[in-house]
Amino acid sequence: MLGEFEYLLITAAARLGDEAYGAAIREEIEATTGRKCSIGALYTTVDRLETKGLFSTWMGDATPQRGGRAKRMVRVTPKGLEAAKDFYDAVTRVSRGVSWAVNGKGNPA
Amino acid sequence: MTSYIRSSGWWLVDVVARLLERDEREAVQGDLAEAGEGAWEGLFAVLGLVVRRQAMAWKNWRPWLAAFGLALPGSLLLMGFSLSVSQAYQQFMEPTILKATGLTMGPGFWLLLCQVFLLIGWSWTGGFVVGSISRRTLWVSATLSFLPCLFCLARFQVECLSRLCLLLFLLPAIWGVRRGLQIARIKLSSAVVLAVAVTAATIPTWSSEGPWIPNWALSWPAWYLVATARKPI
Repeated sequence: MLGEFEYLLITAAARLGDEAYGAAIREEIEATTGRKCSIGALYTTVDRLETKGLFSTWMGDATPQRGGRAKRMVRVTPKGLEAAKDFYDAVTRVSRGVSWAVNGKGNPA
Repeated sequence: MTSYIRSSGWWLVDVVARLLERDEREAVQGDLAEAGEGAWEGLFAVLGLVVRRQAMAWKNWRPWLAAFGLALPGSLLLMGFSLSVSQAYQQFMEPTILKATGLTMGPGFWLLLCQVFLLIGWSWTGGFVVGSISRRTLWVSATLSFLPCLFCLARFQVECLSRLCLLLFLLPAIWGVRRGLQIARIKLSSAVVLAVAVTAATIPTWSSEGPWIPNWALSWPAWYLVATARKPI
């Protein structure tokens, strides 16, 4: 089972697709959650997900706006997609019937 | 003044980022540049990553073995052995010079040769193992290695020998560390030859005076290289 931050990372990387790399994922997470995402947490989690086989990473191109430094590109593996889906299903199941997940009529908010 | 502080901050970021591996350093510094982070924010971000990496590295037994099982005791023992080799060299050379008859190939010569080979072999294999098993924590191993050196250099009082004699082991050890960082494992055949040669070279020293038993502790890195060598396919 994934951790919450691992799920956020996989979701952000999946949404970014071919443009998924450190800074972009960080920006995506901060924009969608409104929470600060530290570089330390980001890269250690990327490593952990890669070790688990949920991410594959490689060094990409350098760009002038990065001071000529390369990006660490990220791709979610099929196993990663599966793990994220399992996490989402589990959260959806466990959230059924709780006040913040349904409105007064029992429909999803 | 403000730009000086900012440039000092980026200089510190560069220094701290050196504790990261090359690709990660490249990616992190690029991310900081792209995000337009300030120098001090960047410094804390890199420091945070370095601390996390170090904490993860120290969960493993290898950095502990490298730092406290090899670098610290190894540098103390090798300093003593460097001194012993220097004294053996001095004792061998003095009668030769007095006689002014050129080289005399007595038994002392072979013992000296064995000691020089041992010093290089022990230092190189020790350095190699430290480099290969503690990449991310090498700075701790290096510090634990250099501290006894500084302590002994400050207290060195043998008049007929230079202080630098204590550090004869340093060059082959650094060479070993570099190779350890580069290739991590050596070929099985090379490792076996090295380990057997190092062990065999200790045989003539058994009859010599001095605390030789601790020196056996310096032979295990050579056998560790055998145990972890690249096996032929």
